[in-house]
This record gives sequence, C-alpha cells and structure tokens, in this order.
Amino acid sequence: VALAALILLLGGCGGSGGVSSQKAATVQVRERDFRISAPKQLPPGEVDLAVHNKGPDDHELLVIRRDGEGEEELPVRRSGLTIDEDGLGPAVVGALEPGEPGVRHLRVKLKPGHYELICNMAGHYYGGMEAEVRVQ
Amino acid sequence: VKRRNPSFGPFQSRGRRSIVAILLTFTLVSAISVALSIRTTARSKHQASVVQVAARQRTLAEQYVNDVLLARSGAPADPRNTAMLLKSSVRALQEGGTVPAVDGDDDETEVSAVTDAEVTAQLEQERRLVADLTNTGRALLAHRPVDAVPLTAHERLEPSDPVERLRVLAALTSNVSLNVARTMATTTDRNISNLITLQVLLGVTGLFAFLGLASALIAAGRRQISHFRSLVKSSTDLVLVFGAGGCRYASDSVLKMLGQPSDELLGHGFGKFIHPDDHASVDAACTNGEPHELLFRMRNKFGEWRHVEAYVTDLREDRHIHGVVLNARDVTERARLEEELTRQAFHDGLSGLPNRALFRDRLDQALARSLRTRDALAVLLIDLDNFKQINDSLGHDAGDLLVREVAKRFSGVTRPSDTLARLGGDEFAVLLEAANEAAAVALAGRLVGQLSEPVAIAGRDLMIGASIGLVLHPGGSGNSEELLRHADLAMYAAKEAGGGRWEMFQAEMARAAGELLGLEHELQVGLKRGEVKVHYQPEIEVRTRAIVGVEALARWHSPTRGNVPPDQFIPVAEANGFILRLGEFVLRTACEQTANWRRDGMLPEPFTTWVNLSGVQLSAGGIARLVERVLEETQLPAGMLGLEVTESTLVAEGSVGDRAREELENLRNLGVKIAIDDFGTGVSSLGQLQRFPVDVIKVDRSFIQGVEHDVKNAAIAANLISLAHALGLVAIAEGIESEGQLESMREVDCDLAQGYLFGRPVSAEHAGDLLAAYVGSATSKLVT
Repeated sequence: VALAALILLLGGCGGSGGVSSQKAATVQVRERDFRISAPKQLPPGEVDLAVHNKGPDDHELLVIRRDGEGEEELPVRRSGLTIDEDGLGPAVVGALEPGEPGVRHLRVKLKPGHYELICNMAGHYYGGMEAEVRVQ
Repeated sequence: VKRRNPSFGPFQSRGRRSIVAILLTFTLVSAISVALSIRTTARSKHQASVVQVAARQRTLAEQYVNDVLLARSGAPADPRNTAMLLKSSVRALQEGGTVPAVDGDDDETEVSAVTDAEVTAQLEQERRLVADLTNTGRALLAHRPVDAVPLTAHERLEPSDPVERLRVLAALTSNVSLNVARTMATTTDRNISNLITLQVLLGVTGLFAFLGLASALIAAGRRQISHFRSLVKSSTDLVLVFGAGGCRYASDSVLKMLGQPSDELLGHGFGKFIHPDDHASVDAACTNGEPHELLFRMRNKFGEWRHVEAYVTDLREDRHIHGVVLNARDVTERARLEEELTRQAFHDGLSGLPNRALFRDRLDQALARSLRTRDALAVLLIDLDNFKQINDSLGHDAGDLLVREVAKRFSGVTRPSDTLARLGGDEFAVLLEAANEAAAVALAGRLVGQLSEPVAIAGRDLMIGASIGLVLHPGGSGNSEELLRHADLAMYAAKEAGGGRWEMFQAEMARAAGELLGLEHELQVGLKRGEVKVHYQPEIEVRTRAIVGVEALARWHSPTRGNVPPDQFIPVAEANGFILRLGEFVLRTACEQTANWRRDGMLPEPFTTWVNLSGVQLSAGGIARLVERVLEETQLPAGMLGLEVTESTLVAEGSVGDRAREELENLRNLGVKIAIDDFGTGVSSLGQLQRFPVDVIKVDRSFIQGVEHDVKNAAIAANLISLAHALGLVAIAEGIESEGQLESMREVDCDLAQGYLFGRPVSAEHAGDLLAAYVGSATSKLVT
C-alpha cells in the first residue's frame, strides 16, 4: 500500500502542467511528420495554443509574426536546413522547445495580422512543417 | 461445519505465523529487488548499445550525403555501402539481429528488437526516411530527376534542387535517429531512476519487515514468558529455585503459603520455614539435586506444619536456570489421610486402642531399645473372665459395650507412655517400658481393682473379673513372641487359679508347657533315628506255664531323656496323630519279627503275638487294610496276630465307635484275634461284651495285684473270668508278679497269664533267646 501511495505521489508531481487563464481562447494545433495543421484564422489577444504532437518524430513550434513583409522569405541559416530564429528577433512571439509526441500548451499574445507557425528542427521546415494563420 | 474450540497451547508461539509472514515478505522483497536490479542492469547494458547504434545512424545519414556528392563528382566513395549500413541498422533496431560494423569504427553488435511504442514509431519513420534518402541519392547518382522519387515519410519538400533535397532528407533522418537515441536514453534513465525508487521502496519495506520481525519475535518471547509466568503464578504448586546463594526464586504460591514477602525468603531466609528435622534432606537436595523426590515440612503463615512433596530437578547445568528446581505440592491432606489409614490399620475399631499388630510393633521396638539401654520392660496380658458367657447370654452388642467400658477403665490406670492394646476378643495387653517389677505388679493390681466395681450393661450390673499374666523382661536381648507366650502361660495360670487375679510368669510354667512340645518333636525324630524299639513280653498258659505268645510293646530310649515310659509318649503321639505312624511301625516290626521266629522254628504251637491298637488308629480307618497288607508282606498267618484294643474304643458313641467296631469286624474276618485290654476298668456293661467282635479279654492288673488278699478284687477277677468263659472268650491275667497270684488265677480257671513272674518286656534278641530255650526244653522234654 505504501508503495502504491508513493508511486501515486510521484506521479502526481509530474502531472501539473501549464495553467491557462480562463479568458484565453484555446486553439488546437496539430503537428506530425511533416505537417502543421492550425485554423487559418485566430482571434487576437491572448491565445492558448494546444499543441498536439502526433509524432513520430520530436517537434517544436515557433510562432512568427510576418507583419507587412508580405512575401518575403524567412532568413535561412548557413546550413540551409533551418530558419535563423535569431535573425527574426522580436518577430518570434512564441516558441515551444522540441518535444516528444504529446500535448503541450503555448500561450501567445496575438495582434491582428499574419503569422507563420513552423517547426524549426533540422530539415523540418523544408520537409513541410509550416502553416500560415491570420489574426483578425 | 463444526468449529473446533481453539485448544489452549501455552507453549506454542502464537506469533509464529506472523513471524513466518514477515520473513516471507522480507524474502520476497529481497528477491524482487535483486531480480529487478539484474533485469534493469541487463536492459541498460543492452539499451546502451541500441542507443549507440541509433546515434550512429545520424552520422551515417550525413556520411551518405557526402558519399553521394563525392561519388557524383567522381571522387572515390561508396554511398551504396553507407545506404546498406543505414538500412540494415534500422532493420536490426526494429526487428533485432546483427548491426553491421562500420569499417574502422566499431564492431558488429547484437541487438534485440525495440519494444517501446514511441521508439517503434520513430524507427518506422526512420526506416521510411532512410528509404526516401537512399532512393533520392540513387536518383541523384543516376542523374535521374530527383523530384520524381516518391516520398514515403510524408515530406513536402519545397526545394527542387536535388542536393538540397538530399540534405534535407538526411537532416530529417539524422533528426529522427537522434530522437530515437535520446528517447531510448531517456527510457533507460527512467528505468534506472524507477529502479532506484523501487530499491528505496523495497529497502524501506524490508526495514519495516525487519522491524516487524524483531517486534514479533520480542512479542512472541514475551508472550511465552508471560504464559510460563502466569502458569507458575496461578499454579498452586510451589516452585522454588535454589542456587549457590540459597533460594533464588519462590513462586507466588510459596509467598502466599508462607505469608512472607519474597525478600524474606530469598537467600538463606528460606531455611527458617523448614522443619528442623527436614533441614538436612532439603539442604542436600538443593545442593546436589538429589534425591529426585523429597518429603518435608514447611511452616505456613498460620504456624502449621504442612507436609510438602517435592520433585527435585537438577538444572544447574542449564544456562538459563543455573540451579536446582523444587516443584512442590502441599500433601498435608494426603499425609493426614495416610495417618488416619495407618491409625485404622493399627487400632482396634471398637475400643480405639492399639491393635495386636501395633502392640507387637511397639513391643519389638521396645525390645530393640532395651537391647541398647538395658532397661527392663513388662508385658501384662489380660483376659476377661466369663466374657464368653456374657457374650452368649446378653448378645454381642452387650459384649462390645463391655469391651469398651473395660478399655475405658484400663485406660484410666495406665500411663500415657504405656501401651494399652486390645489384642482381640476379650484379650487386652499392656506394655510397660523402663518398668521394674514393683511398677508392673502395682499396675496388675490396679487393673484387677478396676473391675471390682460392677459394669452396668443392658440394664444390669455385671460382675466381671480379669485374669492377668505378667512377664518381666530384665533388659537386653529378647523375643516378643516368647514374651507374649510367657505372659499367656502366666495368664492361664491366673485363670486356672480361679480368675480375678494376676500371676507372675515362672520358669516352671514354660517347662511344663515346653516339655510336651519337645517330647512330641523328639519322638518324631526318635522314630526316624531308630530310638523306638519293639520289646516283647511273654504270655503263658496258666495251667501248663507253656509260652503261648508275646505282647509287643513300644519302647523309646531318648538320648537326652533316657527311657521314656509309654504312658508319657503314647498320649502325646495320640494327641497329634503321630500314633498312626508309630502304631504301623510297631505292627510291622512285630509281624516281621514273629515271621522270622516262625521261619527259624523258634515258635511253639499255638503262638500269638499281641500288638496294641490305639483308638485313634481304629477311628482313623484303614487299619484292617493295613494289617492285611502287613500280614501279606511278612508272610505271617493271621491267626498268629492278636490286636489289643481298650474298652473305651469299643464303647465309643456315634460314628467314631461305629467305624471302630466295623474295623474290628473286618480284622476278625481276616483271622486276627481281638483282645480287650485293661478289661474291667472301663465303663462298658458286661452285657455289651456279647456284641463286640472279641476273642480275648485281658483282666486289668489292678484286679490281679490284690487277688491274694483282697476278697473283693478276687471276686471281681473270678467273675470277669467266668463271664469271659460264659461268652466263649479266653481270659488273660495281666501283671502276675508272684507264684501266689498265679495260683489264684489257676484257681479261678484263668486261661493265660502275663507278668514279671514269667518275664519282663525284653528286646527281640532276648525274646528270641527265651523262645529258643523254651522250645528247645519243651522238645527235649517231649523226647525224654
């Protein structure tokens, strides 16, 4: 019994994840090899992105504002396999570090405009993991 | 189903089951812990190689891109081999098997299939990506359009530049490979940390189990001890442990019995409560552990001496006890019962006085003491006079009352130190220890005096006397049986002197009684030793003085007593039946002798050997058969044997007389002559003579002795003889000592005579000489 209780206790510690505010709209985002599916339109303001990584590979999620620059390509690193996040500066409004398949939450504050959701793991962007959303 | 009542088992540990459960848990926990450690370690080792292989894929994917580019530019490279390594590695990871070695890098590695679901999915993705990568690489090398290569891993490759496509695919492959390796490493870490957690848990469980075990063991031990303690405490048995320093433990029951706190008893204080007489034996048992059973007395809190029976167990070698254990029980009640039983066995129920057995015991003890102390002692034997009459006329209840009253009166005049006992019936005895003659005589006088007052029984005043025999033992060795016998003789003397008196034992009394006893015994021995001889006295014809027979007479010459007259030893032999053997001896000897004389031609014609028959022989039966057998054996004609019987035998009343007369008839039928001995002195009427099977009468010597001078005797003798003749019987005159007597007999026409005048009883040898001389002279007379 003590054993079970201890296991339960340990399990309980790991379970507490991101706490979302009641006001934030929850948006379902799905990732898989090698696609990102998200609604085309998002509400402005606080948005809670529920990121479902369906795997099999690990993935990350970057939310990049694409204000006014229109068709301009994202800057690429020298390896040619990843986007240069540092070059984007404040345009990256939210990032979820690489993670195993599962659900994670990312809270972002969105202003009306264009945004791009990408996975910037080596080759993943070029493998097809990018999605464009509009905030209105 | 019937439920069994749980039995009380103080010596079974009820904690045994929990101890076993705890031990099992402990063992199980340890086993699980060890098994897990082994399994986890083995798995970790295996996973390390899998991780290594998975990580190698990343390098191989990048090398493949280089190899393709090199090969495309004509440089020496073997992208195909790299492709093969990539493919077979991922297959080995997926399905298990041998991972090929990379030249100059590592060795072949055996791996088993990965089972983790997440990793399996990643590996499948890796396999697809490797396929897409190598297919793209091949198309590039073959200068085929790369866009046309079908992709299987769901990629959406934007760039159309073939090299860029190849690099992206390699990056994807590399990525997933790295993730496989990382996931697996994470799994291993997780397993190890799980193992650590589990080990900690198991350790804690084990610790609890161990603590539980310890406490269960302690509890079991306590329980056992408390079982024993409560057994010992609640038991009425007294438990004591003795060690070097005296008493070391005394159970509650001991404290309760003695009414003392334990510190009063422990050590050497215990000895105070033991009877001084028992000190030595208790001490010996407590120091040596022997004997194993012990009886002693202890003073309880009320000051009573309690009898205690103890079992002694020597546990000095026992490392827990180091002492001698006494397990004792109060057996006072039993001892009392035994005492009571002993009292009953040694006391007379009616009078409450000691009985014969106890009296004898006390007397024996007193004699044993006297042997040491040389103290005199006295025994008084008391017999009530006329007790039988009182018993018969007033009944046994009156007799019992009388005995009780007499016992009471006698008790009143004896000292407590004297033993007054009832030997049975109306017989009492007193033992006086350390007493002189004066004291004994004084007591005898007091006892007689106690009965001078009448005893009131059944509404009557009974006068009762006592005959007391008194015997003194001067001190030293003595025999209780002899003392009692002497007292008995003295008592009879008192009784014979009229009762109501006491008599002191005199040596003559013993002699008088002892003579008879001795004679009886000596006669028996004497017959065996040939001390008894048959002598013969001749019988003559009065008219001719011719020898016509002999009377055979038993003569006893004792080496200690000299010649014992027949009137002394015959009554003794008749009294105890020895006469049967003695009579047979005389009969046989006389017949043999007569037959011998006859054979030797020493006998005149006619000739009769007369043998005396005792009344006992006749009434015992079988004498006729015996005579017949003896005659047959000795070859003696029946007509030459005569048997003399006394008058009293013939006239005996009842069956005894009938049997005697029947035997005489049988004897006479054999041809044997029958004579009546001592005729004239008996009580038979002359008329009865006719009925008796008789041939001869012997006129008693008392009539013959006075025949010369006493007219009356002479007349009687004459009448007896004429009567005999009238009945057709032959008359013999006994005790003829003078010629005058013989002459008188001749005058009254007596047929035969016997007496000193013709010869005393003589031995067979002398008789033979006499006969030979007579026959010789008769023949020569006849010849001349």
